[in-house]
Amino acid sequence: MKRPSTSSRFWLAGVLLLLQPAPSFADPLPPPQHVQAFDAPNDAGGAIVLVWSPAPYDSPGVKYEIRVSNGSADITSGGKVLAQFAADTHYTKDAKLPWWTRPAKATDHYYVVKSGKGMELKNGDAYAFVVAAVRGEERSEAPAVRAVPGPNWINWNQLNNFFVVLIFGAVVVGSIQQAKRKEIFLRRIPGLDAVDEAIGRATELGKPILYLTGAGDMSEPSTLAAAVILGRVSKRVALYETDLMVPHRDPIVMAVCQEITKQGYLEAGKPDAFKEDSNFFITTDQFSYTAAVDGLMLRKQPAANFFMGSYFAEALLLTETGASTGAIQIAGTDSDHQLPFFVTTCDYTLIGEELYAASAYLSREPVQVGTLRGQDIGKAIVLGVILVGSLLASAGVLFGTDWPSVVLDLFKDLK
Amino acid sequence: MTLAEKMLRLDRRVIFLLIGVCTLIPLLYPVGLAIKVSPEVRGVYDYIESLPEGSVFLLSLDFDPASKPELYPQAVALLRHAFRKNLRVIGMTLWVSGTGMADQVVTQTARDMGKVNGKDYVFLGWSPGVSSLIITMGQDLYKAFPSDYYGNATKDLAVLQGVQTLRDVNYVVSLAAGTAGIETWYVFGKDKYRFELGGGCTGVIAPGLYPLLRSGQINGLIGGLRGAAEYEVLIDKKGRAVAGMDAQSVTHFTIIGLVILCNVFYLSLRRQRTERPS
Amino acid sequence: MIFLRRQLPLLITFVTGIIFIAQYYVPHPASEELLTTVNKWLQIIGGFALVLGVTSLFHQHAVKIRRREPGWGYSFVLYAGMVGTIVVGLAVNGKESMDGGMTAFGWIYSYTMVPLQGTMFALLAFFIASAAYRSFRARSREAAVLLVAAIIVMMGRVPLGEYLVPVTGDITQWVLNVLNASVRRAILIGISLGAVALSLKIIFGIERSYLGGGRE
Repeated sequence: MKRPSTSSRFWLAGVLLLLQPAPSFADPLPPPQHVQAFDAPNDAGGAIVLVWSPAPYDSPGVKYEIRVSNGSADITSGGKVLAQFAADTHYTKDAKLPWWTRPAKATDHYYVVKSGKGMELKNGDAYAFVVAAVRGEERSEAPAVRAVPGPNWINWNQLNNFFVVLIFGAVVVGSIQQAKRKEIFLRRIPGLDAVDEAIGRATELGKPILYLTGAGDMSEPSTLAAAVILGRVSKRVALYETDLMVPHRDPIVMAVCQEITKQGYLEAGKPDAFKEDSNFFITTDQFSYTAAVDGLMLRKQPAANFFMGSYFAEALLLTETGASTGAIQIAGTDSDHQLPFFVTTCDYTLIGEELYAASAYLSREPVQVGTLRGQDIGKAIVLGVILVGSLLASAGVLFGTDWPSVVLDLFKDLK
Repeated sequence: MTLAEKMLRLDRRVIFLLIGVCTLIPLLYPVGLAIKVSPEVRGVYDYIESLPEGSVFLLSLDFDPASKPELYPQAVALLRHAFRKNLRVIGMTLWVSGTGMADQVVTQTARDMGKVNGKDYVFLGWSPGVSSLIITMGQDLYKAFPSDYYGNATKDLAVLQGVQTLRDVNYVVSLAAGTAGIETWYVFGKDKYRFELGGGCTGVIAPGLYPLLRSGQINGLIGGLRGAAEYEVLIDKKGRAVAGMDAQSVTHFTIIGLVILCNVFYLSLRRQRTERPS
Repeated sequence: MIFLRRQLPLLITFVTGIIFIAQYYVPHPASEELLTTVNKWLQIIGGFALVLGVTSLFHQHAVKIRRREPGWGYSFVLYAGMVGTIVVGLAVNGKESMDGGMTAFGWIYSYTMVPLQGTMFALLAFFIASAAYRSFRARSREAAVLLVAAIIVMMGRVPLGEYLVPVTGDITQWVLNVLNASVRRAILIGISLGAVALSLKIIFGIERSYLGGGRE
């Protein structure tokens, strides 16, 4: 066998050398920079925010690891691993924060440590955090940072909400002032115009009037609106000396409506005609109440039925039974799921805010009418915002830019 | 009186009888038509399916006996799914009048699936407060429910190990017939304590909850008996909901037929009146 | 007297209203504690108010029995049912089941309340059919559009409809997810603004009719 020559040995060594994996000449992994920890703002406590600057090595191949320990413990070697995620994730811009409360630049990394699921942060206790960059076996830690979680008194994220309420309130006040100076047009609401007609019809037929205030309690706007309309109805009923029946599902509503009815009779100059038991309690249970009122309708045969307030499944049972007795029926509700049933079975239906407008419509007091106008201006503003917001959001998506969010954030409900 | 006028004044008892017959016959002689699953029901199913074993699932049965036909099958299907996935199930209700029925559905389904009370599931029952109850549960579950429905101390139950507040619950589903219900759980629960929320409801209020679904406030919605039937198809365990779909199909078509009929008579009467010389 | 009947309630309404507007913007646990405490007060007041309601109910039926009004026998049924359920419920501490067995209270719940409530709810199916027959008429173009949409959705929500006309399922999904959701949002916005305006009126004392009493 022929032995290889020296030159071919060198050549072979060179080939073998080239086939070896190249030594790593990459820079050592720098630690995360400018790491800060502070109490999460605008919350009830139990949360800490960590922010740090973006790095050139932010990519899926590198991870950030967060360790935590109780503030008094030494975290340099111990602590609990809280989270590990890819280095190109968790930025401030990804957090659902409005621009006026962002604690760091949009491109900075942002991580919120919250209490729950095995991690409890007690308000007032100090906690230490270490943020480390991990690439394969390589690990580089930033110096430990400490923070104390605590509750906050103001949620600045909802500043936009507060300003919207103030602006709406200002619009209402301005409208009231305007209403005091000149008459404001209100479009006809047939359901409310028909109230007198219904009461007159019942009087002619010598039959009673049935008035329901709905399923809600006094904390619901629809029940309040129903009580207000009852005041007007009872005044008319007192003038005509027609019988009024007001069965109730809630004892507090019953007590309030009793006072309102009494006041209506007083204002009509017929206090003696007022009957204490015109307002009576039946039960709080939905279908027991419905069965009782249906029985009342079939026995007493009222000529006019008023269904004002919020209703649920009992709506159709009540109105269909009422329709079978031939009564004129006027409904007013903000329960949109029952509107189809009211519209098909009642002669007149007040939809949603028409019920709230009743007080203004029936009294025509400038203050009430002004409030109504303020509401309508508010709705017009909302319409405008929806239109502008849709265009801005579409522009943001089409052109791939973030600037529309400066305006859009103003109308977001942020907590 | 013409035929059209007579038909338009048809005694409602005839309609009641027709509906009664059309509901009864398919229940006695079911056909079993295929049921297509909607994305909103699939949303709830997929989320439960994605939960690892041992996750905490809270089912709030917020309805009374009146809504039993629609929501009870939903509850049974969800519980079966959760027990099959070996999730830790917490049952409760915000409606006092539904407590007995809620206890019945949880206990019965658990028994059928071979689950043990205290170890695999717990029924907390009802406690007053609604919104304040949910807030208290979000702060300290054991303060809201110091004992379960049977009087056992909740702190000692194995199924509630590691569950301190609503933040430790992986998924909440509210089966609601009205208020208090899904919206209450969102406003006082998910919005504050950031757990995932799904919903089930009666058919009549389902359309009103679509805005919550579209905005991501709930991740799925099981609407009415149809939703329950879809869920039964997904878990491959057909029950009362699927059985009821045939009756619902026939009833719907009966109503459609009646509506078309009344419009035919109405339009013919209107035409007669226009053609008739005054 | 005027102060107690008018000024004081208005003052309480104003102060409480402002506090709870502020509460919404305060995330501190003290704020949440305030909300839960006040909710508990409301429940306690509601409990006492129930006494008022039950008294009114008993009184009304006592008058009916005394005057021998038509149907006065049913008033006795009401008394028996109410008193019986309260006594039985108190005896078993409100529990429907105990040690695996049904209590008397549970029996009343399962064999009277559940079927009665179910029956009432079931009536809706019949009433919907009769209401639909009476009122779903194409009186105008809009009514005709509503009619067609209703028929398509009724078909699309049941297996038979999807089997006969498969496209109704997809149209129904679109109607519910797009048309319905957007219209509901619009109604909700209007109702919410109305509710905010009404609440502001009550908090600032502009709306006072709920107090009863005379005009100042």
